[in-house]
Amino acid sequence: MSSEFALELSDVTKIFAKDRGEFRAVDNVNLQVRQGEMVVFLGPSGCGKTTTLRMVAGFETPSSGAIRIQGKDMTTVPVNKRGIGFVFQNYALFPHMSVFKNVSYGLKARGEGVEAIRNKVSAALELVGLSGSGDKFPNQLSGGEQQRVALARVIVMEPSLLLMDEPLSNLDAKLRLHMRTEIRKLQKHLGITCMYVTHDQAEALTMADRIVVMNRGKVEQVGTPFDLYNAPRSLFVADFIGQANIVKLPVVAVDDVNVTAAIPEGGTLTARCAVSDGECTPLRKGDVAALIVRPESVGVEFADRAEKGIRAVVISAIFGGSDVEYQVRLADGSMVKASVPYRNGMDICREGSRVSLVIEAANCVFLPVT
Amino acid sequence: MAEGYRGMKKQRFVLLKKDPALFSTLVIIWVLFGIFIFLPVFRLLLAAFVVDGKPSFANLAAVMKTSYNIRALYGSLLLATTVGISGTVLGYIFALAVTRTTLPRWGKNILSAITILPLISPPFTSSISLTLALGPNGMLLQLFGIENFTIYGFWGTWLSETLTYFPIAFMVIEAILNTMSANLDDAALSLGSTKWRLFRTVTVPLSLPGIANSFLLVFGASLADFATPLILGGHSFPVLPTEAYLLITGLFDLKGGASLSFLLLVPALIVFLMQRLVLGRKSFVSVTGKSGARTVFSGLPVSLSVIIGIVCTIVSAFVIYLYAIILWGSFVKVWSVNNTFTWEHYAYVFQHGKKAILDTLAIALVSTVLGSILGIVIGYVTQRKTFPGKRFFEFGSLLNYALPGTVVGIAYIIAFNQRPLLLTGTMTILVAAYVFRYYATGIRAVSASLEQIDPALEEASLSLGAGSVRTFTHVTIPLIMPAVLSGTRYLFIHCMTAISATIFLVSVHWTLLTTRILESMTELQFSQASAFSIVLILIVFAGDAIMRGLIKLSSMKFHQSVREVAHHE
Repeated sequence: MSSEFALELSDVTKIFAKDRGEFRAVDNVNLQVRQGEMVVFLGPSGCGKTTTLRMVAGFETPSSGAIRIQGKDMTTVPVNKRGIGFVFQNYALFPHMSVFKNVSYGLKARGEGVEAIRNKVSAALELVGLSGSGDKFPNQLSGGEQQRVALARVIVMEPSLLLMDEPLSNLDAKLRLHMRTEIRKLQKHLGITCMYVTHDQAEALTMADRIVVMNRGKVEQVGTPFDLYNAPRSLFVADFIGQANIVKLPVVAVDDVNVTAAIPEGGTLTARCAVSDGECTPLRKGDVAALIVRPESVGVEFADRAEKGIRAVVISAIFGGSDVEYQVRLADGSMVKASVPYRNGMDICREGSRVSLVIEAANCVFLPVT
Repeated sequence: MAEGYRGMKKQRFVLLKKDPALFSTLVIIWVLFGIFIFLPVFRLLLAAFVVDGKPSFANLAAVMKTSYNIRALYGSLLLATTVGISGTVLGYIFALAVTRTTLPRWGKNILSAITILPLISPPFTSSISLTLALGPNGMLLQLFGIENFTIYGFWGTWLSETLTYFPIAFMVIEAILNTMSANLDDAALSLGSTKWRLFRTVTVPLSLPGIANSFLLVFGASLADFATPLILGGHSFPVLPTEAYLLITGLFDLKGGASLSFLLLVPALIVFLMQRLVLGRKSFVSVTGKSGARTVFSGLPVSLSVIIGIVCTIVSAFVIYLYAIILWGSFVKVWSVNNTFTWEHYAYVFQHGKKAILDTLAIALVSTVLGSILGIVIGYVTQRKTFPGKRFFEFGSLLNYALPGTVVGIAYIIAFNQRPLLLTGTMTILVAAYVFRYYATGIRAVSASLEQIDPALEEASLSLGAGSVRTFTHVTIPLIMPAVLSGTRYLFIHCMTAISATIFLVSVHWTLLTTRILESMTELQFSQASAFSIVLILIVFAGDAIMRGLIKLSSMKFHQSVREVAHHE
């Protein structure tokens, strides 16, 4: 029986006893994951993402709420009866078993035949590019290879749900980038539903179908990487995903979806309100709103060459190859980051230069200041 | 908030239902604890504090009225304190010699071997040889022409116990001296410190937890020791364990014995709890930070090295001499009267002592196997699982180990000498006495080893569909095997050599080598006692060699990588 959703979390809450009182590690989380979807849980450490993952796996039991896998209630089913696959942060390969034995471990526990096990294991090892390494021991493998064995060990079980707990955090930077695409490719190829936990927003943006941003045990926002980047619904999300300038401005006018605010040196700026539901916004005339501006939406020009724009002084300019990263100070003292693509022959505004900022309002959003 | 707590309680219950293997294991172990740990102690207290069905201090008061018993209490505390101090000092000196001097490898090996000898010998060994050397017709006395000297009393007991128990201090302190970072030495010297100052201000303060721990361990061992004072204490220096033994075996006064046991039980429990406190505090030595290149310890000031050299040489020579004297003693007709060579004592041992040898081996083997299994299970459960009453479970599991053997022995005869638990005279009671006392080393080794192993390995097994039993047998056990075997090794040694608890429990059906040695000693058959001792030491030595071989085998292949995984976090 195939259900509409591969995974459903309903009002899942986890409370830990703590010295004198309790700690809500996970607070009322609701989520529905479609078949074959890759959902990435993202948040700072201690936000409850790993606890949520461990509850889905069955290592922890929710204090309240329900977890359904393929439509079946699994809330209190022990981990070994859930049919999930779990990839650990430090791989957790059995050090006393060869690669082959590691990968065949689950199949043996399930009681499969010798022939079937041999075929499945070699297919899995081939899939992760480790054919011929079956006799090696984990301590003879590099970090990346160990990661692949951990993947093979899980994939070979054909789990209905693949759970991954920061699987790339122990790899060096270059390998991490490579494994991102590998894992995503494998996941798509197998059509397997995957729940992936990370604190690395770049990893989340590049790998996810949908991202679940968590903060202090609660879900802040669920959406595609595009949505989260372009229409963050809270200051936390705006700040956590990508780089963001958060500029506080007084609201002078609102309509159904747009907010107009005054800018310090005269003039106004109109942009969407990200929390608008299409009919009204929680912002009112006279409120202070936060303008979310991505650094790449800020243009920097020499003040004497620009006709309009917001006046600022360059505090630092760092040449980064493909672009120039500016830190500038506005007249009211607030700091703004700008990232300008570098083209050959372009003049770079040096420290102390007077510049004029041009903000692309179409790429910005307003949020209420909380 | 209250609701949350209730929710959590309920959850624990759910966990037990979810893990039936854990649940039934706990039930079985609690029943075993109930019978073999709590019941005997309870019956002992009952015997001491209930007169005619009413709670009363009459028994205790009666015991305390005898000035001889007061002297015994005082003697026990005095002996334990002095042996604790001298044993720790000697252990520290040996540990410094092995870890901080430029002594060549073979020299260090000899020192380590010297410290292992008393550990694998029956507890009388040094008392026997001291008797042969300094007792009536003693060899050293004759050699130096000393007359009117008696080894019996406080000094003889103190010397013998110091030599017997300083290896405990050595092991504890050597471990802590080895885990210190040599970078600290470099740092101190580079800041202009002299070697003396370095020793005073860095090495000694950092080893204080080890010193405290080893003092408590040696104190406890001496407090509980029954064999040494029995042979060397004499009438002038009574201590509690021997007094309790004499009350029970000589006068059949169970109530008096129980009361004396209670006097012994109190300081033993205090020491046990203090020791847990010392160990509970996180040792700051293990937090050394990431050290770069591995450097060597910078060594000791010359004057200190010289002192250490002299002490180690004298003590080592004396220990070797004591063992040589036993060996020699086992081959002479009548010690210091007729020194002609003979095999007759060994012939006696293998004819009349055959039953004792076979009984001892059988009991030791059964106890070792059962104790190891129980040690693994208890160590695993206390380290990896949460369940209600866990702290009490842990305390209970180590109670018999914390109590002096004499107390346990007396508690056992009181508890198991009537139906339905009539066990006196059986093998079961001997095995139980050994298992529930000496599996403690195994429990500790297993939990220490599990602490080093990432729980993710077990979670990985569960998430791959293996049940908790399969996970335990296929993942956990192979990983902790080296620790299990080292626990097993000590269990075997103790089961072969210990006497304090089991002296009360032997019978015509089941007897032990150690009790035969004691009998020979009390009959003044020194040569016979020596031959029994030599045979026992050889058996233990062989068994120990086999165990050490197994430990090496089991830890060769993957031990390194287990550490790596564990340290990755």
